[in-house]
Amino acid sequence: MSFMQPSPVKYACSCGIVNPINKLFFCRHCPKLRCGYCVSHEVESHFCSNCLENIPSSEARHKKNCCANCFDCPCCHHTLSARATTVPVVRKTEEPKDGESAGAATPPPASSKPSAVPTTKKMYYLSCLSCRWTTRDVGIPDQGVATGTWPDNECLYQARFNTLMEYYQSVVLQEKQEKQEFQRRKAPKAHKFPSLTDRTGLTVSLIRRQIGWSEKNVPKTKPLNITPAEAISELEDLPQDIFTQPINLRNITTVAQRHSQPADQPTAVGNLYPQRRSLWIKRSLRCRQCEHNLIKPEYHPTSIKYRIQLFASYHVPEVVMVRLEHPLEAGQSNAILLKLSNPTMYDMTISILDEKPTEEPQINPDEFQATCKIKEEAVTSSPLMKVAALARQTLTKEVTREVRDVANAKIKLLESEFVLNQRDDSKEFDEEVQAQTEEPNFIVWRKGNKVLLRLQFTPAAELEVNDVVTLGFFMQYTYVNTVSNTAEKKEPTTHTLSSRLFIDAGRIEKGN
Amino acid sequence: MPAESDIKIMPKSVVCEESTLNGDITISSGCVVHPSATIIAEAPIVLGENCIVEEYATIAHRLKDGAASDASNTLHIGANNVFEVGCTVEAARIGDKNVFESKCFVGSGVTVSSGCVVGAGIQLRTAQVLPENTIVYGRQALQREAIEKQGSQTLQIDFLRKVLPNYHHLRKPNYDPKKARSVV
Amino acid sequence: MEIPDTYYSKDEYVETASGNKVSRHTVLCGSQNIVLNGKVIVQSGAIIRGDLANVRTGRYCVISKNSVIRPPYKQFSKGIAFFPMHIGDHVYIGEGAVVSAAVIGSFVYIGKNAIIGRRCTLKDCCVIEDGAVLPPETTVSSYMRYTAKGTIEGGQGNPCFVPAAMQDEMVNYTKSFYEHFIRTPAPAS
Repeated sequence: MSFMQPSPVKYACSCGIVNPINKLFFCRHCPKLRCGYCVSHEVESHFCSNCLENIPSSEARHKKNCCANCFDCPCCHHTLSARATTVPVVRKTEEPKDGESAGAATPPPASSKPSAVPTTKKMYYLSCLSCRWTTRDVGIPDQGVATGTWPDNECLYQARFNTLMEYYQSVVLQEKQEKQEFQRRKAPKAHKFPSLTDRTGLTVSLIRRQIGWSEKNVPKTKPLNITPAEAISELEDLPQDIFTQPINLRNITTVAQRHSQPADQPTAVGNLYPQRRSLWIKRSLRCRQCEHNLIKPEYHPTSIKYRIQLFASYHVPEVVMVRLEHPLEAGQSNAILLKLSNPTMYDMTISILDEKPTEEPQINPDEFQATCKIKEEAVTSSPLMKVAALARQTLTKEVTREVRDVANAKIKLLESEFVLNQRDDSKEFDEEVQAQTEEPNFIVWRKGNKVLLRLQFTPAAELEVNDVVTLGFFMQYTYVNTVSNTAEKKEPTTHTLSSRLFIDAGRIEKGN
Repeated sequence: MPAESDIKIMPKSVVCEESTLNGDITISSGCVVHPSATIIAEAPIVLGENCIVEEYATIAHRLKDGAASDASNTLHIGANNVFEVGCTVEAARIGDKNVFESKCFVGSGVTVSSGCVVGAGIQLRTAQVLPENTIVYGRQALQREAIEKQGSQTLQIDFLRKVLPNYHHLRKPNYDPKKARSVV
Repeated sequence: MEIPDTYYSKDEYVETASGNKVSRHTVLCGSQNIVLNGKVIVQSGAIIRGDLANVRTGRYCVISKNSVIRPPYKQFSKGIAFFPMHIGDHVYIGEGAVVSAAVIGSFVYIGKNAIIGRRCTLKDCCVIEDGAVLPPETTVSSYMRYTAKGTIEGGQGNPCFVPAAMQDEMVNYTKSFYEHFIRTPAPAS
């Protein structure tokens, strides 16, 4: 079965959401499972997914999160490609020969520029290879260079928008200043003792003036005056022929086309203009509890590597459902074969439990967080990062929800715990000369870091035909952590962790 | 099943032997039929000049109830059409310079005029007429009108005519219109 | 879920020294121009058009039934040219897919009946959903998912669309696909 299908084995994340292992992360510092919903997402870098160019975030903001070179088709939203035509730059009105383009040539409007040089010139137009829309459809002249010179579609109200934006920016600024002023007046003395400057009778602003610095208090900004919008009561009448003329649906834009051009929302296809392609981001994920990164992608857009990658599948034993021994029947005992593999470099001791094991004495969360933060601060000494860390502070609230118990089968627990050997990539190439050791009888086979486990269970008797049988259990495993939160301990620590698993075993095939 | 001899291949066309041709089919000069292409003629099919039929493409002229499978019920396919990989075309009439993109389906009630493009993966099953230069595109099979006809595929045909004989066994042209006229 | 064993008959498949398993019921045109870099499975009904231009695949690729691998062409003023096609390692091409891409990176999953238009670029670790249609010259960058609806979703670090560990997932998947693609055991005589 392909990994594209939903996996029958799901792990309960520490936030309570059930996920397959490939969507989970493992915070080594907490140490707990995390999923996409209980981590904070941060923008790592901006890039254009078409030209794969990395764009710094300041530039991205300046360009309104759009790529400077790539355009989307206004008709079908696919990317436009530049097509070249060779245009004879002579006065005689010869049909230009089509170059690389697949389309037959019509005289492009720009080629009519009279020039004395009787040579051919490469001209470019943009063409959509999905719906065959071209910039010639709306009369945009062909350009001499393929990228960079395409005209921006200025909308009718652009000037109005700009003044409105300026106005509201100044309003915000004014409000901010007023607020600050108000607070300054309300709490006049923050210090218990008069400060040195007070005693000397100098005020801060006076000193500043003496040194020759500019006045700290920026002169109060007054919002600019803008002409308020006016409501019109007189409307133009509908054209006479609107009820009589049959409409040609091909000339009317679809809702999606209008939405992609929000500034003017054209109703006729003749007013569709190429839209700048929006940028994409790479994200880094951060644990909300300890603020360590779980994922930090490499900066470059084409790189597929990570600088930090704490995937759950690298730390938590992976459980794969192999098959059932019998077709499922309500109330009939059955057995499931599970393949467990150990992704870590240390042996794991695993036991299957049916209720939550008592946790090892947990570290006090506040204390733990404090230690983490101290470490972080030591690492990131730049003031900018500190500000970022402060900003993140607000995100650390975590809502834990109860894991909904959907299990409807009784698991027969294993007689004993067992050991899952460490991962050893070189073993893959070794000859199989494993000495047969005494194994508990629930282990079907063992090879390297993998174990095939036979787990007996009985689906609940009241299940109907076609009901889904879900097995639920806790898997307790030992995990050797190579990172430590406190400075004095350097050796790896061993934790006993547990994960709650749900296995979608299939549907009841026969009633009883 | 009509015999193989019903297939008329005009000179200067390239028809790979690994293609499946069933029934009364006339392949005009300049056509390229790729391996694993299928043409099923329950009633006669005349493929116009300079058409390309790619792999797993199927052109079918199905016999409707009561219709005769003789020359009066011939499907004339115009010139310069391209049938891309995996398309199935059962259209009632096909003009010139059309492109049927990969894995599209054109049902028997559809009349395709000239210069049309049926986009990849699009299914046209209801009876309709595609006016000239219609582009059918996108998931919802939206239609729009192109300002210009699709370019001809002569350059591609030239290339294929050069390359394909080096790698494939071809069906020999067996019908020369000039000679045929002299016989009649 | 573990990949179930797929059995093939000894007569149908040819196994090469480098571990490629190629069905006899395929159309490999211009086979001298096709390079399969080892442990590649080409299933029955697949067409690889090596006659048009070179086709080169990496290791552990799966080319499923009835898929068509066809080098893309580009039209120039003086004629057309077919471009060689490169496919990376650990690439899965689903049943009935039509692939005319210029470059396919490594660890790429192409779903069933997907259509990859001419000269598309599929970067490493991207996913094309079943039945998706990529118009010509589409670029799908890493960790992006091209949906059947025609949108591009995801991005590196977004776990909702492409698994963050896509590379490992594809390595595991293609390797275990190869290991579970086994010859029907001969009946005990």
